[in-house]
Amino acid sequence: MAGYQNRILEVDLSISQMNIIDVPVEDKRRFIGGSGVAAKLFLDRFNPKVDPLSPDNPLIVMNGPLTGTTLPGTSRFAVCGKSPLTGIWGEGTCGGNFGPELKFAGIDGIIFKGVSPTPVYLSIEDDEIELRDASELWGMDNYILTDFLKQRHGKDKNPKVLSIGPAGENLVKFAAICNDKGDFIGRTGMGAVMGSKRLKAVVVKGTKKVEVSHPEEYAALRKLLITKSREAMVAQSFRSMGTDAGMDLGMMTGDVPIKNWMIGEDLELSANLGGPAMTERYLTRNHACSFCPIACKRIVKVDDGPFKTEEGPGPEYETCCTFGTLIMNNDLAGVIKANEWCNRYGMDTISCGATIAFAMEAFEKGLITRKDTDGIDLTWGNMTGVIELLHKIAKQEGIGAVLSEGSRKAAKRLGKEAEELTVEVKGLEAPMHDPRGFHGMGLAYMMSIRGACHLMHLSLGVEQGITTYPEAGFQENYTGQTSEGKAEMIKLCEDLGLPFNSLAICEFVAWTLSANELAEMVRLTTGFDFRLKNLLACGERTWLLKRGLGNMMGISAKDDRLPKRILTPLKDGAAAGSVPDVEKLLREYYEIRGLDEEGKPKREVLIKAGLEDLAEKLHG
Amino acid sequence: MALSFPSIEWVEEFKRQINSSEGYKKAGATWTAGVVALVTSAKPEIGIKEDVGIWLDLHQGVCRDAKIVTAEDAQKAPFCITGDYARWKQVIKKELEPVKGMMQGKLKLKGDLPTIVRYVKASQELVECTTRIDTKFLDE
Repeated sequence: MAGYQNRILEVDLSISQMNIIDVPVEDKRRFIGGSGVAAKLFLDRFNPKVDPLSPDNPLIVMNGPLTGTTLPGTSRFAVCGKSPLTGIWGEGTCGGNFGPELKFAGIDGIIFKGVSPTPVYLSIEDDEIELRDASELWGMDNYILTDFLKQRHGKDKNPKVLSIGPAGENLVKFAAICNDKGDFIGRTGMGAVMGSKRLKAVVVKGTKKVEVSHPEEYAALRKLLITKSREAMVAQSFRSMGTDAGMDLGMMTGDVPIKNWMIGEDLELSANLGGPAMTERYLTRNHACSFCPIACKRIVKVDDGPFKTEEGPGPEYETCCTFGTLIMNNDLAGVIKANEWCNRYGMDTISCGATIAFAMEAFEKGLITRKDTDGIDLTWGNMTGVIELLHKIAKQEGIGAVLSEGSRKAAKRLGKEAEELTVEVKGLEAPMHDPRGFHGMGLAYMMSIRGACHLMHLSLGVEQGITTYPEAGFQENYTGQTSEGKAEMIKLCEDLGLPFNSLAICEFVAWTLSANELAEMVRLTTGFDFRLKNLLACGERTWLLKRGLGNMMGISAKDDRLPKRILTPLKDGAAAGSVPDVEKLLREYYEIRGLDEEGKPKREVLIKAGLEDLAEKLHG
Repeated sequence: MALSFPSIEWVEEFKRQINSSEGYKKAGATWTAGVVALVTSAKPEIGIKEDVGIWLDLHQGVCRDAKIVTAEDAQKAPFCITGDYARWKQVIKKELEPVKGMMQGKLKLKGDLPTIVRYVKASQELVECTTRIDTKFLDE
């Protein structure tokens, strides 16, 4: 099939054995690639009951068929496995340059199994593939490691590096995987899975082509899409201010959580932490993923002060919230410093920052004291204390060891009162979009496959009015603070949005295009007879597959809920007084999705979607 | 008596509403980035024979001047937002939030984005001012 290299590398780290496999064409047609194909591989070949940090949990790196083509926004790839943070399906996606380079090396994906007896890294140079000793690299942070490996392997071409830092080595449950310093597979702790296998890095260089099925039509479509995605307002906004452009508007619409989700509005915070502030004070230049006309990435530098930071990758919106508004820190330089340390150590800035916010509230309420924190002052906004705590978390020292488990497990250790301070769903800390401002997002958090997530669907763009896809059945506009009609909206958001992680396409670029254009990208690249209806069917099938995997890993209806903090009305801000109607949302969604009382997809729904094997496993 | 949108009378009333608004005075207090112009695209079937510009000389929470201008003159302003008649009607009726409208491509912005983003609250207050005008829409 065009678009694919039709080769997946399987690496058994326990016995240093490698071989090439592929998935059937029919699975490519039904699940496309990325995390969709990864989920199908997991279902077919691995045990859902596996311990996430055991040798039997795979780490699956997977491109999509568009990865490495020159269509806009197609540099992404997915990394999947069972999550050590949540105990259910884990996945993260990432832009940057690694995915395309892997495709240029002739590989669609890599499945890592087992555990190496000693630290290793995988080197791929086209058909020369070998596991190499990483003993001297173990302990290096991601920035130092990336530079080292690029120098070692970069004689004729700049290699791309996937790596873990000390947090992954130390099995921090929200450890991230780093891609060339500036891009991360952040969520669900895939970095800990990689660390549990003593796999320090993957270095790749490739020179092969990615074939497309209809070259002339593809070229014409590409030209059109690049123009559209470059000129769209949201693209201009991200280009000039990064994803942090969302902070100022979000503060006005009730999107931004403040002080561990307790406050509704703080205009001074957004003025100091938002996109314009970063652009004016610290931005040195933009940076783009491969083949991206938007260039939303920030390169920043803090020249002086207690949070002086050398030039490097800057924080996204989520990080500006978790280390800014969520912990009442008004100093963007402090956010940049925290971002740098999370990058170096390799930690998800959402889970890490949210867990620290939980700790700060626990500190305020006396549930944690200075004795527990080895003297660290966790008063709201104290960034010096936060940076000290980051080191402890990454190294699993003292209170850091407790917090490295994530907020759900940390709260369990502190008791019932502490559990009410956490804001997570299924163990994954909520990202920085408040369901009290946007009820559909609340439903999306409850039903997202990996836990509270703003990216496994299109809710962020659609419900906030950034984009819409009328040809797929969406309304032109949605009102945020109502639960009416949101079940239907979220199902559509998932059915159209999940394929983005299968295609491995950037959501920001997808926001600027039409749904029909997205389907055309697949058709003209792969040659599949692929239309919008196929895209939606793929999304529905992928949702059911991943939900079924989650059921087998232990998810049931009782886990589809929102935390108490989200169901507590705010007293101020645009979302004051508003909370999602959880009962209505779930009742309507379960009906539309065809879920039974236990939260499993009904047998007939699975069979209709072509998931007979999953139906058998779930229902017998 | 209802005032036709767009018209000189409507624009003069808009200026009066802006300068009566405590909300805008506060939200726009630090605005020194210059004139904001709004352009409605021509719609001959309802009597708008060519594009119409509304010139708002806003400065530190005050509207110093408001007038009807040509679209060509409107484009000379540091900030110029262009839209169809139907879109402006949606904005005035609070059916379309202007920043959302820009994101969705329903309104086109010319001007420095970071500056506009800093004044989202001020833009909301300007829309509030339009809702206080008894407006007659030419297509109704």
